[in-house]
Amino acid sequence: MGKKKEAKPRKLNRKDQSLKRLENFKKEIVTDHHTVPIDVLCSRLETDIERGLSQYKARQLFMETGPNALTPSRKTPEYIKFIKTITEGFSLLLWIGASLCIIAAVIEYVYRKKVDTDNLLLAAVLVLIIIMTGIFMYYQQNKSSKIMDSFATMIPQKAEVIRDGQQITVNVKDLVVGDLVDMKFGDRIPADVRITKSQGFKVDNSSITGENEPLLRTNQCTNENILETRNVAFFSTNAVEGTAQGIVIMCGDHTVMGKIAGLTARLHPSITPLARELNRFMTIITFWAVILGIIFGVASIAIGYPWIDSALFIIGIIVSNVPEGLLATVTLSLTVTAKKMALKNCLVKNLEAVETLGSTNVVCSDKTGTLTQNKMTVCHLWYNGDVVQADISEDQYDARKYTETPGFDILIRCATLCNRAEFINTRTPRKYIMKWEVRGDASEAAILKFIELTRLEGDPDEFRKAHKKLIELPFNSTSKIQLSIHALANNCLMVMKGAPERILERCKTIFINDDVEELSDELRQTCEKACFELAARGERILGFCDMEMKDTYTYSYPFTIDPLPNFPTEGLRFVGFISLIDPPRPEVHNAVETCKTAGIKVIMVTGDHPVTAKAIAKEVGIITTDSIEDAALFYNADHDETKDAIVVSGTTLRELQQDELDAILYTYNEIVFARTSPTQKLQIVEGLQRLKNIVAVTGDGVNDSPALKKADIGIAMGISGSEVSQQSADMILMDDNFASIITGIEEGRKIFDNLKKSIVYVLASNIAELAPCLMFIVCNIPLPLGILAILCIDVLTDMLPAISLAYEKAESDIMKRTPRNPNVDNLVTFRLYFLAYCHIGVLEACAGFFVYFLIMYEYGFKPNRLFGLRPEWDTYYINDLEDSYGQEWSYEERKQLEYTCSTAFMIAVVVCQWGDVLACKTRLNSIMVQGMTNWFMNVSILIETLLAIFLTYTPYMSYLKFYPVGLHCWLYALPFSGLILLFDEYRKFCIRNYPRGYFYRETYY
Amino acid sequence: MKLTDKQKFQKLIWDPEHKQFLGRNATSWSKICLFYLVFYGMLAALVAICMWVFFQTLDPRIPKWQMDSSIIGTNPGLGFRPMPTADNAESTLIWFEGSNKTNFNKWVNNLSAFLDKYYTPGKTEKGTASIRKCSYNQPPKRGQVCDFDVRLWGECSPDKFFNYHRNAPCIFLKLNRIYGWVPEYYNDIHDLPENMPDDLKKHIASVKPEERNTIWISCEGENPADIEYLGPISYHPQVQGFPGYYYPYENSEGYLSPLVAVQFLRPVSGIVINIECKAWAKNIKHSRADRTGSVHFELLID
Repeated sequence: MGKKKEAKPRKLNRKDQSLKRLENFKKEIVTDHHTVPIDVLCSRLETDIERGLSQYKARQLFMETGPNALTPSRKTPEYIKFIKTITEGFSLLLWIGASLCIIAAVIEYVYRKKVDTDNLLLAAVLVLIIIMTGIFMYYQQNKSSKIMDSFATMIPQKAEVIRDGQQITVNVKDLVVGDLVDMKFGDRIPADVRITKSQGFKVDNSSITGENEPLLRTNQCTNENILETRNVAFFSTNAVEGTAQGIVIMCGDHTVMGKIAGLTARLHPSITPLARELNRFMTIITFWAVILGIIFGVASIAIGYPWIDSALFIIGIIVSNVPEGLLATVTLSLTVTAKKMALKNCLVKNLEAVETLGSTNVVCSDKTGTLTQNKMTVCHLWYNGDVVQADISEDQYDARKYTETPGFDILIRCATLCNRAEFINTRTPRKYIMKWEVRGDASEAAILKFIELTRLEGDPDEFRKAHKKLIELPFNSTSKIQLSIHALANNCLMVMKGAPERILERCKTIFINDDVEELSDELRQTCEKACFELAARGERILGFCDMEMKDTYTYSYPFTIDPLPNFPTEGLRFVGFISLIDPPRPEVHNAVETCKTAGIKVIMVTGDHPVTAKAIAKEVGIITTDSIEDAALFYNADHDETKDAIVVSGTTLRELQQDELDAILYTYNEIVFARTSPTQKLQIVEGLQRLKNIVAVTGDGVNDSPALKKADIGIAMGISGSEVSQQSADMILMDDNFASIITGIEEGRKIFDNLKKSIVYVLASNIAELAPCLMFIVCNIPLPLGILAILCIDVLTDMLPAISLAYEKAESDIMKRTPRNPNVDNLVTFRLYFLAYCHIGVLEACAGFFVYFLIMYEYGFKPNRLFGLRPEWDTYYINDLEDSYGQEWSYEERKQLEYTCSTAFMIAVVVCQWGDVLACKTRLNSIMVQGMTNWFMNVSILIETLLAIFLTYTPYMSYLKFYPVGLHCWLYALPFSGLILLFDEYRKFCIRNYPRGYFYRETYY
Repeated sequence: MKLTDKQKFQKLIWDPEHKQFLGRNATSWSKICLFYLVFYGMLAALVAICMWVFFQTLDPRIPKWQMDSSIIGTNPGLGFRPMPTADNAESTLIWFEGSNKTNFNKWVNNLSAFLDKYYTPGKTEKGTASIRKCSYNQPPKRGQVCDFDVRLWGECSPDKFFNYHRNAPCIFLKLNRIYGWVPEYYNDIHDLPENMPDDLKKHIASVKPEERNTIWISCEGENPADIEYLGPISYHPQVQGFPGYYYPYENSEGYLSPLVAVQFLRPVSGIVINIECKAWAKNIKHSRADRTGSVHFELLID
């Protein structure tokens, strides 16, 4: 806790420092790469503004300059990391224990000139334990960070480069200075790039400046200072809108970002629910241990123990309470899970996010690509007043029906030109066109493939080349249209496509009935009706319109769209719709169902049309009822309360007050948000978080990234996801499959469950360790369990079984119960303590004392003799202590007896821990159902036993106060071990059968 | 309404609204108390039953583990009386002023208390004990215990303050009782260990053969200087050891361990004298660290 206080001022300092550095950079960076004319720059860098670098030159440069990546900022030295692991958390308590031992030994030496070997030995063992657990933790952390690193390399960043006039895709780290790169919205800028061409290109420089205002980038140099000028886009900033082409002027560490790397881009991840829980648990345990230690210490001094003995109690109590292996268990289970999830195509970027997913109770899912396959195919065409079914077969047999009809060619011309998609590796055999690789957005690709199939205008590529593109306004989520102007034989043609309502509102005329007609209200309704009908099937509809431009707009006209188009963008001719379908993924339906049984609300948030959204939502099971509330009616008095589902469109959402949104989110179980903007996505996430939900957001686009960042856990798509979205996410679904989220949720819940089990297991033995200390002080019996034995239980025998619980498979209810409420369902609750301490712990203590008294009796000390015997027992000069049979025991003999009993007590605890670990395997199910397939656990039980045998029967263990005990001692504790298991089975039986019963209320953890 | 931490804490302790103490109301508390009462009651009963059953398998008079199968072993510890007092627990120094009665009286009282049962035999286990006089020729029968004749201690009696007042203190030596342990006597004068003091060897030779079934006792100063300061020693009873008929110890009622009173007749005053006493039998090994077979103490007379 002390650390937090320290860290705060330091953080501020760093921020100040970085700001200061940034200021300095503004002065320092002196370059003219952005000011010189572009051809000067090209000749300087031996590149070409059209063809880019030559392959050969690029390779040569790469050899010289090395990869385009930041050298990792100075890492924390390994030894400091190690020191950190041995000074954090529980280790601190153990250090206190060890230093108490040493202090006691020193005082003993100073006052009595006697070397106190016992205390020194204890101190040495404690230090050894700290270092051992430290090494284990360090190893674990190292391993997990290596795994995380390997995950990072699994998602390499790609860049589109033009070399030798060929557009190729390369890894960002292979870029060199002089490369001509293509950038589009959603990309991360691969290097410092001087823009040569741009269409509505905007970047978000927040990773450098901290202000996330989209900034326009053009090829105009506007400022001497490189940081202020408009024609440079910086490495690692995000492109949020538009497209651009530019020349790389700086790479890797020489980039602006490279120079200030590590200073401003430092992310301070917010504390995860799991970390919060662990901190809470550690605080509670620390307080508990220290307070208990102090109480007993003070009490024992008060009854007149020498203070050295009292110090020993304190150490014993602290040590017995500290679960030394817990942190290692946590790291291990997180790593194991992360690895397991990676196999199931879930890449976890932040380890603790795994558990966060487990406590998620709302999933906001994007539609496209997540719920659906993102394999758009053209499904229907609407032109000239008719709907036709598109033929996407290779033979195009059915296509003959429509290819000759009037209007089709107009629509196809428009669709061909207003399309940015391109085939990669063109001119492979004209087969399987549907499987050709396409560079570009899914729906454009679908349209391109359709065009290629019909080949009405010949090769679409040729056709486009014949009609040179003069300017382009790329699609963006605000305007929802895309337009471009192309050169025709004598004049210019503007083509536009986009959301049907946006297209229709820009149109004045329509091509219908083989002719161009005025777009009357009646016709408009016809169009809307057609659109609605298609959309009702969940199809995505794109409207197309075109316009032959007036003579004033020749191809020499300086078209620009920045800041506003200098040409009319209204009054176009409507030519038709193309509807595409993106079929839902087959596994999504089941996944949504599973989410619902797991108490997780699935909310669809999409930019699509409400009708489309609704259709898909119904198909995948997000909406299961037919009575769907219209959001517009929500605040009317007559809105139907019985309705369970609601579809809210972006326009409605805009008019809602914050509390109204919250009310909707709270009231309805099945919610679909359609036509939403990025800010609205963010609003929805914030609204859900206001209602104390733990929200998972899935998304793929750059527009999703604010919501992804805001969410408790952001999940990006690995294939279709933009780099920006992957950057802001905590987890990446490599197969874009929504069903993988279920795996994640299950694993996350499992981690939390297994951690609880592990804690119960570890805490249970604490009572068996604490009770002997208590009896020693209160009843004055010879010490039943030595501190070294306690340590051996805690760090040797208990360690592996506790860890093995992390490998326990999930129970049957894992996806059937509601998600945990982070405010109430803590990792450790009173119930958990109750169960561990008052049930299992007490049973274990009973077993220990049972064995202790039996052995004492067998050797001659009846229980009644033992009570109150301690003062004489521990007095060195009494060399003839009488037992119940009149025999007289010398000091050494009875100490050996004491240590034998202590060993037997330890064995009793170990035997009970067998029962305990089996009882902890499940929280609800019977062990019969769960089975014994956790081989890690089975082996760890064996190892636990072997360790106990080793401690007991190895010669020379007497130095550590272990003496061999008869085999029968193992048997004495066995009934108790069985009782623990049986009692717990009974408890679980009651919980299962009386879900509101006493056991459920008081002991279900 | 947002509560401050303090209010939250207070509410946790006592919530007047729901009449809850530590988050539970009276019914809840009584229920949980009842549950644990029953639970622990049953547990205690179970443990008690287990213990009882187990104890039935043990003989209350005969220890389950004896001698080498037990931890107590077969090498009895040798002890001395008077015991050092608790306020100086670590020391084995017997330090007194013969001229100061209050000073030596604590040692005398300590001894008297220890010897009390020898002067009033059968006091502890009245009635059941069958005590008889034993001799080398008449060892006790099974179930009988031997009387100890306190007159054999001669000068070393409470009436004479164990001679502390005359600076000739008596120290009593005792051997730890081990159930069933039978000493193997040095009863052949030709088969005595080399490290046995010559005085003792001579003494053994002078003892009647039938009385040689005795655990012999020898005391001497640890260093030549100590021997010199210590002066002559006299042993009571005369046989200078624990007669064999007291063994084995079988936990019979009224059994009294044999004692040997060692009297230092003329120890030099004002000097700490280190004394080591040893018990001699073939199955007694001397270990100072374990304090078995031999005992060490210091004497200082002012």
